[in-house]
Amino acid sequence: MKTRASIWTVRWLVAVVAAGLLAILGESPSSAAEPILLGVSGPLTGSNAQYGAQWKTGFDLALDQINGSGGIKGRPLQYVFEDSQSDPRQSVSIAQKFVNDPTIVAELGDFSSPASMAASPIYQRAGLVQFGFTNSHPDFTKGGEFMWSNTVNQADEQPALAEFAVKRLGLTRLAVIHLNTDWGRISKDIFVKAAKEDGAEVVATEGFLPDEKDYRSTLVRIRESKPDGIVIIAYYADGALIARQLRSAGIKLPVVAVSSVYSPKFLELGGDAVEGIYTKANFFPEDPRPEVQTFVKAYQAKYGKDPDTFAAIAYDTVVLLSEVIKQYGTERKAIRDGLASIKDVPSVIYGRVTFDPQTRRVLGAKTINLVIKNGKFALWDGSKPAIN
Amino acid sequence: MSSWFDYTINGLVVGNIYALLAVGLALIFGVSHLINFAQGSVYSVGAYVGLVCITYLNTPLPLTIAIVLASCGLLGILIERIGLRPLQGRTRIAPLLATIGISLVLDQIVQLVFSAQPRALPSQVPDWRFVIGGGSIGALDLLIAAIGLASAAVLFAFLRFTKLGWAVRATAQDREAAQQMGVDVDRVDSAVFAIASALGGLSGLLVGMYYNNISPAMSFQATLKGIVAQVIGGVGNVPGAIFGSLFLGLTESYGIALFGTSYRNLFAFVILILVLISWPNGLFGGRRSLPPEPLTGTFIAPSRPVLLPFWLVVALVATGLLLPVVVTSPYVIQTLSNAWLYGMLALSLTLVAGTAGQISLGHAALLAIGGYASALLALDLGLSVLVAIPLAGLITGLIGTLLVYPAFGLRGHYVAIATLGIGEIVSLVILNWESLTRGPIGITGIPPLAIGKHDFYSAPAVYWLTFAVLVGLALLQRRLLRSPLGRTLRAIRDDDVAARTYGINPNRYKGLAFAFSGFVAGVSGAITAHLYSYINFETFTSQISVLALTMAILGGLGNVFGAIAAAIALVGLPEIFRVASDYRMLIYGLALLLLIRFRPQGLFGTV
Repeated sequence: MKTRASIWTVRWLVAVVAAGLLAILGESPSSAAEPILLGVSGPLTGSNAQYGAQWKTGFDLALDQINGSGGIKGRPLQYVFEDSQSDPRQSVSIAQKFVNDPTIVAELGDFSSPASMAASPIYQRAGLVQFGFTNSHPDFTKGGEFMWSNTVNQADEQPALAEFAVKRLGLTRLAVIHLNTDWGRISKDIFVKAAKEDGAEVVATEGFLPDEKDYRSTLVRIRESKPDGIVIIAYYADGALIARQLRSAGIKLPVVAVSSVYSPKFLELGGDAVEGIYTKANFFPEDPRPEVQTFVKAYQAKYGKDPDTFAAIAYDTVVLLSEVIKQYGTERKAIRDGLASIKDVPSVIYGRVTFDPQTRRVLGAKTINLVIKNGKFALWDGSKPAIN
Repeated sequence: MSSWFDYTINGLVVGNIYALLAVGLALIFGVSHLINFAQGSVYSVGAYVGLVCITYLNTPLPLTIAIVLASCGLLGILIERIGLRPLQGRTRIAPLLATIGISLVLDQIVQLVFSAQPRALPSQVPDWRFVIGGGSIGALDLLIAAIGLASAAVLFAFLRFTKLGWAVRATAQDREAAQQMGVDVDRVDSAVFAIASALGGLSGLLVGMYYNNISPAMSFQATLKGIVAQVIGGVGNVPGAIFGSLFLGLTESYGIALFGTSYRNLFAFVILILVLISWPNGLFGGRRSLPPEPLTGTFIAPSRPVLLPFWLVVALVATGLLLPVVVTSPYVIQTLSNAWLYGMLALSLTLVAGTAGQISLGHAALLAIGGYASALLALDLGLSVLVAIPLAGLITGLIGTLLVYPAFGLRGHYVAIATLGIGEIVSLVILNWESLTRGPIGITGIPPLAIGKHDFYSAPAVYWLTFAVLVGLALLQRRLLRSPLGRTLRAIRDDDVAARTYGINPNRYKGLAFAFSGFVAGVSGAITAHLYSYINFETFTSQISVLALTMAILGGLGNVFGAIAAAIALVGLPEIFRVASDYRMLIYGLALLLLIRFRPQGLFGTV
């Protein structure tokens, strides 16, 4: 019995190893007239898998449009999505895979800062553009001249949010509840500074951990600080949970949330509790800008739901890179130089994208003030909240 | 102080939710002496079964509950029958690994079927609110409490008054004796898994409704909180699990009240460690609880290790050294470098878990300490990387041993829980000690691996460096195991009391083992930090601790070569299965289950 089992184990192990070797060796280099490939490193499994899934919707839509109109000089644009689980160990291996695959012309991602920035030295050394379209860590693009990002700059977003909360909505005592990661923390710091400059007082700041689901006690603490408005700096799933627990804590104050909650999921998960929440978005279906209209209409037609910020930035990124490749060619270095010199690429988030070649980031994201009304995002009509 | 009343109510509300999870875990632990890592996955399956019932079949609440109970009960029977029974009587540690594998498989299936997006789970309970203090509680809170108490009462009655219940208790007390008295222990196991899984599924449903939010990623946190809660109450003790859950909920809530939200878990885990040290049987354990666990060889079954002849070791090392010359793909070389780094972690864990018998679930913390120590030494003190890395190893050895020292009096699973708690504490201290660690922003610009002015950037250079360090540490550890020190450690593991009667001071030797282990893991974490150039508190997650334990068990506990082989397998397999794209983690989980099915003593056997 025992020997039989171990023989089977050996055979099984041999089979696995053989399959693996075949998989590694079987990847033959592609010939000419082949598609132009973008490498994507991001989470498709694990706790951030939902964001990778949203990226895909944006990528696929952009590719439909680009390849539907003849691709890039007759060659179709495609992407290779490698699942990193947002784990630096895997994103580093993926980076080696991409930089040594001559068919990959540029890389997109990863999602979290630890996974992205661990891979940066490899991309920088190899001279392959690492385009971190969700990387708001201020040091991400400092990793080298091949690190670029079109993520909405918190230095843009947070002062605008503060202006909305303080000057437009007339809130004077703010309590901030933020995700305690690099993104949430940096956002909070910029927001607090801007809100104070606008003349408001920040009476409480509470940072919660990424896995948190229960906020009741945090909200009691916030209630104790006697604010007249609550600011939520979180993604949509956490934001919806916080909104739902606000009323359990007996808080009926105006709530302002960052644009990351702009997602149909926020309405679905939040239910009645998100009614009346103020937020900002970088695009909105009723926005007359042509790039927004093309994107939103096509997205609704393809997926039967509204796009969120993650899908929009993923879409923008592929459109941007296709434009760079069209104008500057498929050489890796040419793409880097192209990003520095390309001007006014149409964009859902920015209207027109032009990079600052020094910071390798974009400023000037469009923002619209929204309020949730009757279970839908609606344009804010300028009315101030009734202070209880 | 009305707010203190609110904090108390909130603590009870959350504790209530933990209780449903903890009861199932406690039941399984009571009978099978097994930490069931799959319980959280059954919990998320329950939530998704509920989703299907509510949104697609429009079933009323009682029917939804019945369907969830039935399907998760069935799932529990399947888990026990297919995943765990074949391992019975082989080794005690193999089932733990099997539950980790089952959990991976279940989570992946849920994600493949329902996508990774979180879904709303509409509550079917009327939304009545009752104002209490400054806040309010809903009808669902009361229903959750009622179901928690009712299930405890039903369980109590079942264990006390039914024949099967007697059989369950008899099996829990002494499996072999029960079998000799004619108890069908297989049936008992089936029944226990069915009941625990049904409860787990029900809690998934109710918690999902409570938050109106379910996702495939919800299982891991749920398992951790459930385990902690049931240990506070006393492992394997059902009423204790409920009490422990409420206690945990209250400590979290008061922690927030006293220190702020980001200290919530820190406070809770410090309390957990204090409880473990003061009441080693749990708050509810009392004197009647289980006899202190592993006596002789129950936890770590002896098996004949596969001995590698000297020439083969030399040949393998030579192959390892020459590999980058033959294999030119930097991707493969990088993946193997990662395997060597994880190999060091597995070596470190296999020493404390295998040789010293102290199962650790917090080993990622040692990586974090090593990584931060080396990064800060290089950046803030300007030390060269070559000096910073070994120094970081020494610091990790020292801090690691000091942190675990209070837990030396604990045994068996309590050590695992204490180390889990310590691991969380380390990560939360890193998050909150901003003046030193830069908090959530993390440390950027960590200098690369270098000797003098020579940078180690290329994949082969990193490979040779990590491989050389790994081989060096492995040889050192092998030497240690063959010395009197190694024999003493095994003696303490196999029979603590006998070792004492020979005049051995177990704590001193455990301390030595943890110090060496901390050094090895610290070096691994330090190299990782310089390789990544950026680390923050999320770089070394508790999932890495579970992965490290998986490697140590899979390789064969205490087995130096096995640990390295398992690291290659567990780092390499997910990469190899990339061809399967979306199914890759599912196949990885199945591979893990097959490996443990056919080699329950580990690939190369326990030393």
